[in-house]
Amino acid sequence: MAYHFDFTFVPDYAGMLAQGVAYTLGLTVVGGTLGILIGIGGAVSRTWNVRPFGPLYGYYVELFRNTPFLVQLFLIFFGLPSLGIKLAEWQAAILAMVLNLGAYSTEIIRAGLQATPRGQVEAADSLAFTRWQVFLHVMLRPALRKVWPALSSQVVITMLGSSVCSQISAEELTFVANFIQSRNFRAFETYFLTTAMYFGLALLVRQAMHAIGRHLIVRRPSR
Amino acid sequence: MPLVSTNRLHKFFGTNHVLRGIKLDVEEGEVVTIVGRSGSGKSTLLRTLNGLESIDDGVIEVDGATLEVDRADASALRNLRQKVGMVFQQFNLFPHLSAGQNVMLAPQVVKRTPKKEAEEIARRMLERVGLAEKFDAFPDQLSGGQQQRVAIARALAMSPRVLLCDEITSALDPELVNEVLGVVRQLAGEGMTLIMVTHEMRFAREVSDKLVFMHEGKIHESGHPQAMFAKPATAEFASFIGSLN
Amino acid sequence: MMTFSLWDIVRNLLIGGALTLLLSLVAFALGGATGLLVLFARIGKWRAPRALAQMHIELFQGTPLLLQLFTLFFGLSLFGLDVPAWLAAGLGLTLFTSAFLAEIWRGCVEAVPRGQWEASACLAMTYWEQMRHVILPQAMRLSIAPTVGFAVQVVKGTAVTSIIGFAELTKTGSMIANATFQPFLVYSLVALGYFILCYPLSRYAQALERSFHAAR
Ligand SMILES: Nc1ncnc2c1ncn2[C@@H]1O[C@H](COP(=O)(O)OP(=O)(O)OP(=O)(O)O)[C@@H](O)[C@H]1O
Ligand SMILES: [Mg+2]
Repeated sequence: MAYHFDFTFVPDYAGMLAQGVAYTLGLTVVGGTLGILIGIGGAVSRTWNVRPFGPLYGYYVELFRNTPFLVQLFLIFFGLPSLGIKLAEWQAAILAMVLNLGAYSTEIIRAGLQATPRGQVEAADSLAFTRWQVFLHVMLRPALRKVWPALSSQVVITMLGSSVCSQISAEELTFVANFIQSRNFRAFETYFLTTAMYFGLALLVRQAMHAIGRHLIVRRPSR
Repeated sequence: MPLVSTNRLHKFFGTNHVLRGIKLDVEEGEVVTIVGRSGSGKSTLLRTLNGLESIDDGVIEVDGATLEVDRADASALRNLRQKVGMVFQQFNLFPHLSAGQNVMLAPQVVKRTPKKEAEEIARRMLERVGLAEKFDAFPDQLSGGQQQRVAIARALAMSPRVLLCDEITSALDPELVNEVLGVVRQLAGEGMTLIMVTHEMRFAREVSDKLVFMHEGKIHESGHPQAMFAKPATAEFASFIGSLN
Repeated sequence: MMTFSLWDIVRNLLIGGALTLLLSLVAFALGGATGLLVLFARIGKWRAPRALAQMHIELFQGTPLLLQLFTLFFGLSLFGLDVPAWLAAGLGLTLFTSAFLAEIWRGCVEAVPRGQWEASACLAMTYWEQMRHVILPQAMRLSIAPTVGFAVQVVKGTAVTSIIGFAELTKTGSMIANATFQPFLVYSLVALGYFILCYPLSRYAQALERSFHAAR
């Protein structure tokens, strides 16, 4: 029982850990941005049943929400090469994150669009906005505003889920942790510290989403 | 000795001094109506009487059960609440239970009344409020007036010594108000001790033994309703009456 | 080298799938029971249990499942315990599930209107009597749809336990993919397996949600 916790390895690996954090954040930023864009496209196609995208998005959403992220990742990284599509680890990781988050945000944003009252659209129509303006300011913004907290949570979940990208050797934070513990034989300390770092990252991502929400979404359209 | 008595009652919400030294005595069988402007503290006073709101100073005594500041332990509260029934503006029936079960629940759970006996009580109480045939109906199958009468039956099933009613007709459609007031009138006739807040002034004048006018957290004026309406003693009450019509 | 027929692949995956199902059921049942305890601590009156419950929830919701499994696996081995993969997997998923369910259920308890607490308090019920007879029955109705919905997350979460070596569906798939050199086929079948488990649950949760809203 006389185990001594030893965190003295930390300074030696600080640089690597920082790189891992940067990699994970990079995945999150790119995955989050593209995922939400896909989600907007999906939500719009599904809400107005734009053919052929609406039905296609329907299959896509169900497929990706009902299978594990890890399996999606393996299918992309290990499976696609048999179809002649060979992706680097980072490309596969990003693609998997974008597709996964895209499926979830499609459904989240769709719920927001459905909750937008029709009266607002008609009011805006009568004010002679262009269709595009109506969509942007009267439909999309209020919808995003409504579901932004749910969307933020989903981005955090996706960020946390990205730790399995270590399994295809994408050099994100968990990959770095695996590497360190194989060198220092301090597995518990290493994973404990890494877990704490993810906890901090989750807080950070949540704060960032909150700030983005305030600046991009909440501000009322200027008239 | 009064059945309900409060003394030096004070209540703060943060810095908002809502009750400022209330002294109120209610005799057994008396019907007391509390009136006053919005925010004058009527609901708060009523809610302190059964411990829904804690008090910051003073004492409350109901039929020998006392509630003091800092000494509101759970058993004292439970004791007090068995003597004080309450009916709310929003009915607050339990939506997952039938009318009969709503009425049976507390006797069974709190008083450990056997199911059969509780059911008899419930049937009797529902009959008392004119809803004998609605025993198995669920709240969402009842009109607002019917729901409120079930709520009254539910409170009565605990055989309270006093019944508190906080604007119990305010959430009702006008045509449903009278069926509820009718039940209250009948209870008053049977000698039930009632303390109520209402905006139905005509009804208050008709059934109350005592009218209490609250103003800025104090009992500003009180007395016999006919006398008070005939000759208000304070300018505030006079202007309150004036604002009614 | 061994050759695999399609039936060989499917048969092995079915065994892995059975373990995935078993692990999901165990994690969901134990996680539900633990989650109930966490819930009561979280919404109760006592300060210390409340803080602990909140910490539990934030910790397990705010960190990756994979690292929870690693930390648990290596943490327990510090006590000289030789932790088999199935135990770490079951324990880890149970804790993970308990945190999420406790939080989902807390939302449901808090969605019960305050008037229900007040009305039952006025009838002289104690806290536990109110809970048992008035609040929980209502919260339970609210919770069915999101709880079924979360079951999908549990099934998918089991895939992560493949990484600590539990031979469930994904791990079995990886081994077969390596042996057959047919990763696309094998992982597609693996994905299909999860889909077969999850899709009905998702649909059921949606249907519950809809019928609930229709009933209001
Ligand atoms: N839970 C609470 N928290 C904070 N302030 C409260 C609370 N309940 C009541 N108050 C405040 O206490 C004061 C008295 O409120 P109360 O509800 O007793 O008035 P009332 O006479 O019943 O008014 P109304 O006729 O509108 O029902 C008001 O200023 C109100 O804002
Ligand atoms: Mg009031």
